[in-house]
Amino acid sequence: MSKEMSKDMCGCPGAAMQDFRGEQETKEETGKRQSQLRQWPLQLHLISPLAPYYQKADVLLSADCVAFTVGDFHKDFLKGKSLAIACPKLDEGQDIYVEKIKSLIDDAKINTLTVMIMQVPCCGGLVALAKEALKAAKRKIPVKAIVVSLQGDVLSEEWVGD
Amino acid sequence: MKKYLNTPIKEIITNFPQVGNILEAYNIGCVPCTLGSCLLKDIVSIHNLPKDQESELMYRIEKVLYPDRDVKKPIIGNLLQKEAPRELKYSPPIKRLVDEHVLIKQLLTLMPKVIANIDMESDFDRQIILDSLDFIRFYADKFHHAKEEDILFEYTDKNLDIIKTMLADHETARAHVRAVFAALKTQDKKSIIENLNAYCALLAEHIKKEDEILYPWIDRGLTTKQVGELFARFNEAEEKMNMEVIEKCKRFIAELAQKVTKLKGRE
Repeated sequence: MSKEMSKDMCGCPGAAMQDFRGEQETKEETGKRQSQLRQWPLQLHLISPLAPYYQKADVLLSADCVAFTVGDFHKDFLKGKSLAIACPKLDEGQDIYVEKIKSLIDDAKINTLTVMIMQVPCCGGLVALAKEALKAAKRKIPVKAIVVSLQGDVLSEEWVGD
Repeated sequence: MKKYLNTPIKEIITNFPQVGNILEAYNIGCVPCTLGSCLLKDIVSIHNLPKDQESELMYRIEKVLYPDRDVKKPIIGNLLQKEAPRELKYSPPIKRLVDEHVLIKQLLTLMPKVIANIDMESDFDRQIILDSLDFIRFYADKFHHAKEEDILFEYTDKNLDIIKTMLADHETARAHVRAVFAALKTQDKKSIIENLNAYCALLAEHIKKEDEILYPWIDRGLTTKQVGELFARFNEAEEKMNMEVIEKCKRFIAELAQKVTKLKGRE
């Protein structure tokens, strides 16, 4: 393994330096892959739950880093879903996030919410925000949490809400 | 082997009883099944055994079906090291059905105690039977089985034998309930006891099959979108029901244990 972890960082696993160079396959890929994104904007502060693409949709709430780690993010996770992205560690105004997610559940009447996060502990905050919104919402919907590793593998996938 | 993979399991077990024992060793309960019309290949796929176990199961069955054939023993990992039982995780709509089973199972647990102490001359005892039948009709049937029949099974192929078996169980259960009602009118204690016992035995086995085999199998085939739809459709179905009756059913189960004590205390 060529993985190297810096020992002189602050100790936060979310910020610990890791080097994956040399671990990727060098196989050349040909052709272009179609984007599965069907909306703009994406950032949770910028989106409006009233936008038509959220109405009764299956929504993916993804931590910012996820799309960069999962090679087939568009094909395997974004396809057929409306999107919102956020960072539970660095973003401010997270009480507004809870209100936005609650509005997606109650006003946009979304069908399901899939929360996709990184394995680093701070990312769990996004699932906590979704649970808080679900608890506060009048409607109840199925909520799924997907945790991915730093190299894009799915570590767990489970339903968290009822 | 292809011939047997497409053969109903009852036929295989009848001709080769040892296959029933092998299936039981893997917690596949086809032997007591009322219909046994599922094909061997469907049974193997529905139970979703770990790959090692599935290979070993098929090897053992093939050895029984073709004793003279040189069947290659699969290379299997450390079978002595038993896997920890897999925890079943259901999607929210399926979990709701499993949770409803909990209340029904409470009735099934208490019913033998009711039956053992029943006095047909007593209004109190007759009322317990009538209330139990109401619970079965409104909670177990209209509230729970209707969700399966009208909604859940639409997400499967209704022609599959496992679904036909479940539907046949529902019909048999309804027939037992009708028989108890009829027997109550004629004060036929023997028929009441026989039909209630048969209902409890049938439902206990039915619920086990659903919780451990059917529901996980359906769950594995559902997309995220379908899980959301199913959840919403269950909500809509419940909104149309008289939830006061359902709450009354829940109260009845909560109070039944206490009532059973009174029946016993009379001895």
